[in-house]
Amino acid sequence: MSAILRLLFLIVSLSPGLLLLAWDGSLSWTLIDGVRLSLTLTPLAGFFMVLLAVAAPLVALPMLRRPLDWSSLALYVPLVLGMELLLLAGDFISFFIGWEIMTWSSYLLLLRSPRADLETSQSYILFNLASAFLLLAGILFYYSLSGDFRIGPLAGTTFGQELILAVLLGLAFLIKVGTLPLHIWVPSSYDQAPDLFSAFLSGAISKMGVYGLILLLTLFPDALTSLAGRLLEGPAAGYLLAWIGVVTSVVATYKAIAQEDMKRLLAYSSIAQVGYITTAIGVGSSLALAGALYLALVHTLVKVLLFISVAGIVLQTGQRRFKDLGKLIERMPVSFFGVLIGIIGLAGMPPLPGFAAKYLIFVSLVDARWLLLLAAMILASTAAFIYCYKLIYGPFLGHANSPQAREAREAPLIYLVPQVILMALLVLFGFLPGLPVQVLIDPVLVALGMETIGGASWAELTTTYGGYDGVVLMLVFIIAFVLVTGIFLLLRGRMHRAGSPYDLSYAGEVPTEGTPLHYGAGMGRELHRIPLVGWILRRGTRGFYLGLAGQMRAAAALLGSLYVGRPQIWILIAVVVFAASLAAQSMLGGL
Amino acid sequence: MHAVVDSLAMIGVSYVMGFLFYGFYRQFNARVQRRWGPTIWQNLFDNMKFFFKSETLIHGPMFFFGPMIIMAGAFTTVLFVPFLKDSDWLQGFSQYGNLILIIYLLVVGPLGNALAVGSSGNPFGVMGVTRGLTRLMGLEVPFFLGLAMVMLQHETASVHAIMAAQDSLAHWGIVTNPIAFCVILLPFIGSQHGAPFDVVGAPVEVYAGPRVEFGGRLLGVLMTQRMMMSIAKLVLLVDLFLGGATNILVLIAKAFSLFLLTTVISMVFPRLKTEQAVDFFWKVPLGLGVLGVILTVWLPSWSA
Amino acid sequence: MTLPLTPVWFVALPLLLAFASPLWVRLRLLMPLLVGTPAVLLLLALALLPEVRIAPLVETIVIAPPLGIHLQLDSASWILVALISFTGLLATAFIWLGDGESYLRDRRAFIFLLLLIAGCNGMVLTGDLFNLYVFLEISGVSAYALSALRRDAPALEAGLKYLLIGSVAAVFFLFAVVLVYLQIGQLNLAAIAEGFAGIPGPMQILIGLLMLVGLGIKAELFPFNFWVPDIYQGSHPVVAGLYSGFLVKAFLFVLFHLVFLLLADPGVAGAWLMGLGAATMLVAEVVALRQDDMRRMLAYSSLGQIGLIALALGFGAEATTAGGLFHMANHTLIKLVLFLTAAVLMRSFVSARLADLAGAGRARPLAAAFFVLGALAVMGLPPLNGFASKLWILKGFAEAGVFWPVALVLLAALIEAGYYFRWIKVLYEPRADLPEARAVERWGYAPIAVAAGLIVLLGVAPFLVDDLFIEGAQALLDRGAALSAVLGAGS
Repeated sequence: MSAILRLLFLIVSLSPGLLLLAWDGSLSWTLIDGVRLSLTLTPLAGFFMVLLAVAAPLVALPMLRRPLDWSSLALYVPLVLGMELLLLAGDFISFFIGWEIMTWSSYLLLLRSPRADLETSQSYILFNLASAFLLLAGILFYYSLSGDFRIGPLAGTTFGQELILAVLLGLAFLIKVGTLPLHIWVPSSYDQAPDLFSAFLSGAISKMGVYGLILLLTLFPDALTSLAGRLLEGPAAGYLLAWIGVVTSVVATYKAIAQEDMKRLLAYSSIAQVGYITTAIGVGSSLALAGALYLALVHTLVKVLLFISVAGIVLQTGQRRFKDLGKLIERMPVSFFGVLIGIIGLAGMPPLPGFAAKYLIFVSLVDARWLLLLAAMILASTAAFIYCYKLIYGPFLGHANSPQAREAREAPLIYLVPQVILMALLVLFGFLPGLPVQVLIDPVLVALGMETIGGASWAELTTTYGGYDGVVLMLVFIIAFVLVTGIFLLLRGRMHRAGSPYDLSYAGEVPTEGTPLHYGAGMGRELHRIPLVGWILRRGTRGFYLGLAGQMRAAAALLGSLYVGRPQIWILIAVVVFAASLAAQSMLGGL
Repeated sequence: MHAVVDSLAMIGVSYVMGFLFYGFYRQFNARVQRRWGPTIWQNLFDNMKFFFKSETLIHGPMFFFGPMIIMAGAFTTVLFVPFLKDSDWLQGFSQYGNLILIIYLLVVGPLGNALAVGSSGNPFGVMGVTRGLTRLMGLEVPFFLGLAMVMLQHETASVHAIMAAQDSLAHWGIVTNPIAFCVILLPFIGSQHGAPFDVVGAPVEVYAGPRVEFGGRLLGVLMTQRMMMSIAKLVLLVDLFLGGATNILVLIAKAFSLFLLTTVISMVFPRLKTEQAVDFFWKVPLGLGVLGVILTVWLPSWSA
Repeated sequence: MTLPLTPVWFVALPLLLAFASPLWVRLRLLMPLLVGTPAVLLLLALALLPEVRIAPLVETIVIAPPLGIHLQLDSASWILVALISFTGLLATAFIWLGDGESYLRDRRAFIFLLLLIAGCNGMVLTGDLFNLYVFLEISGVSAYALSALRRDAPALEAGLKYLLIGSVAAVFFLFAVVLVYLQIGQLNLAAIAEGFAGIPGPMQILIGLLMLVGLGIKAELFPFNFWVPDIYQGSHPVVAGLYSGFLVKAFLFVLFHLVFLLLADPGVAGAWLMGLGAATMLVAEVVALRQDDMRRMLAYSSLGQIGLIALALGFGAEATTAGGLFHMANHTLIKLVLFLTAAVLMRSFVSARLADLAGAGRARPLAAAFFVLGALAVMGLPPLNGFASKLWILKGFAEAGVFWPVALVLLAALIEAGYYFRWIKVLYEPRADLPEARAVERWGYAPIAVAAGLIVLLGVAPFLVDDLFIEGAQALLDRGAALSAVLGAGS
């Protein structure tokens, strides 16, 4: 029985992939009078379905580790199915249904974590429901404009109507992707969610907001060129969106550096990465959209990889803070490589595909002549190196800082399999940066009526500004590495390992076991002394939202005082209201 | 075959240029400080001495592979920078790359090395790495902004195309786009670990920095890659702003004059703390860059 | 002898069975009949459905002219009758199967439950203003008694308070009836509707206000609903479920039925009711944020939904009205699930307070799962039935291009999420010391499961029933057809 259920669970997790292979045609039926649901698979949705098809089974696999949490498995099923519905939706109602199923099932999954506290779970669900209700409001407004729920370009609308629609839907999706200042729910929920589920939250669910943003562009046929005019070589409306994205990335990157907890760091890093995607969507050219999609793909691979690796560390050590870990490189080598490949992809370093994505976005910014945006993006993207380094140094290098870290063992096989698959995919795309472009991205661009950017071969990534060849790059680097290492080993002389980990040149002193030698917690603290960074790090939106919640409670208390338990007051109010309205009527109309 | 010979030649040229330039630097520095200073070959001797040390202490496998990664990164960087224009030689694999790729390749090696420093377990080393990354964060913003202005000017990210466009002195980047050159110059000195931005790894009373744990042959590797990286960056700037070079002598002359300029600037400024350096990069060069963007990009677009 | 299948059985059967209750005690048939009566009524409703869909059934039992009982079963009142019977069936089945408190299982409870059903059925079916008052009193009196069944201080207090406020409401309504009779000299609703326009304007306003206050108190509209939380909290959750499930729906239906029937142009009255509905909804949802007792929280939530229904019906467009009627049905199912779950939890943990229920989800997973389902449905999250009806209502507003109710409804739903999800979170709180759970009869879950199944079914496939609600809305809104049906048959 249990085996069958687990098999069913796996099949559901594989269903996005199966759907991609098997789906053709469309489905349609009436929900209620005048509301017709229809399911089709557009190329754009197909791209995001690919992301889901990668993330869903890879996250599902480690969830099958014993002891099984049946409730989590059961909730994962509607989550995945809801997201499929969301992507298959050919009309806004099925889109909304899928969106909401995703929202509540992910919330209930979040509750499965014993660490989730009330503030976090409330902020998660309230922000996501606010997003959903804004979405619904936008959908209803769309319906009043077009008379139909089907997703398609609008025609004959005024600028004001377009603006209302864009604001409603845009806010909904921006909450979901977690841009500033609507991001407050992201870090704590990614942090406190069950460790494996965080991978899905960051890898798959946040991408649905990206899907929505791109879908929003398709509603206005001319949004990419002329909604609110043009600025330099790009759309003026997108300029605002792009700045929102970039400011989000910068702030989130510094917040990530300041974190002392692995999952919180990854959460802020997710916000920053999705910020880049938002920027690219704002640019709106075919290069930029390709960059956005590419980055979405890479971010899914990288974040699922990193969150699963981190989940493995937490599973084996029970520690999640940088200061409590260290030196796991020898005890968890596979996880080390997982995180290493992950951060190289995350930092956008060549030769892994993170660079290809960033390259496209950078070039698109230059092409649009939005150089100040580019500078801000470079700021975030370079500062990201610091948190990437912290992420690998804290747990894996330095000195082991807790008994658990000293005795940890490699994560279980069921955690390692997805990591190895993801690493292989990342390296493959590093060799062939043009492969995702030609296979996954170009069809989307064609469907959106834009120029394709695929090059002559899978190895090449080409743009009008020039490109690069992944195979050559990778081979040069590998050959250089092999040569250097070989020559080095051929040289005369011996190498031997330090006798003890305390055999260090430590300011002329001899460190002992009691000397604080791990730099995991303090790393990046000196950044506070840089005026701009210090200013950013001192700010936060939590106070504002807590204040808002406090005001709501105060209003509840005030209104609640009307509901007293004394019947004479009830009667009094009824009579007074009656008399008052009668008096008002007589005054107005005359009895 | 051509590619192999060419690659070896590029690595050789950059190595030779590297130790000669830095040998000159040491002597020049000494003369400014009224000392005799070492010979111009001193850097070569030092480097060789490191390579033939018999003992090398390591702290685990990653500690060993870090310098290998940084060296491989240096080779790759050198091979993706075209040294000459209108020539079959000293091109490496530069036609497969572009400017943005080179900028990112410059960072690959140091990050590999950071892993080695981390696995050494010396907190002062990690502190140095963090400072280095912080400085990088500071200098990269104006540096990249300047490069972006160049890319926008030529509407390409290909170094070859940018070189080809500078066919005469009047078309040199430094003449046609002086703002970009000014924006880039100071961050460039920072990226060369030059004063006044050299607090990372500079000699201080408690030795701290990325290299604190390295010794013997590994230190030799680190020294070699630094010289080669410096040359790669110099050549890149020559390509972008000084019209490139048609033969090796012109290349050396142009690179040397650029080197001299940066050296002179380095010598007259006191060292800045990391956060001061970052703040400086974000105020002066970046401010200049923003001004440049407004002047060269925004104003023409508005007046058009 | 064959009994004619006529609407009168909806009133007559429960009344007869209730009055013969000593016999049933003797025969030990009390519980089967308690469940059987609403079941039979439900079957009757289903049997009458094909006829009703063709034309409204009008039945007049003349006692002495002009006094008589006019019953009218059209598509709209059919929905209410079916709803009352079905809710009654599930609630009584819970009482029977759940093996709960003995005071709900004795003869008095039997009588009052059946009287409540009879009264509500009478209210929605009657075509006569005086009969309406009589049925209103029947259902009122049985409700007061049901609240006080437990015979401890809180229950008696609730019963007494209910009696006081209910009597005031009845007085207001009675005044209105008297004034109408003085002005028109008729008590038949159709006849009154014809003559209503002839009444002088100020008198119309006076009558309207009297009715509004009288029925507004009963239908729990702001600012006449301050009594609700106390009564719901003091009563047994099953009884509260019945109040929220069909009692208030019946009053609400009567209110809107009168508005649409009596007024040739219901625009002004509708706008008033929309305003009251919006205020009811927002105020109740905000106040619910701070409630720490499950019954009280559910009471406020129920008020909020009543406000939403009033908002939808008051707008008077076909789509919003159909959606409003659908939402009535859906809300009944949902609140039944929630109140019955509250009954289970209260029986398990003795308390309904938030602090005492922390971690209850781990001790009573099934009950907590039903609570979660009900909560999701009441917030209107797909794929549950609350979503389908809310969507229908909102779509109606969007079609008309009126967006302020949309904004308010969504805002209210967000606030509602604020407290429901707090409860869900607390129910699943990880706690080392799980509260001790007292045994609960497993069969008690069966009625909840049925309602939960319908919640899911109607959410996934609302197209199965949407025709009924469209016809109901048409019947409710089409004044001319209603008048001609009655007057044509009655004259």
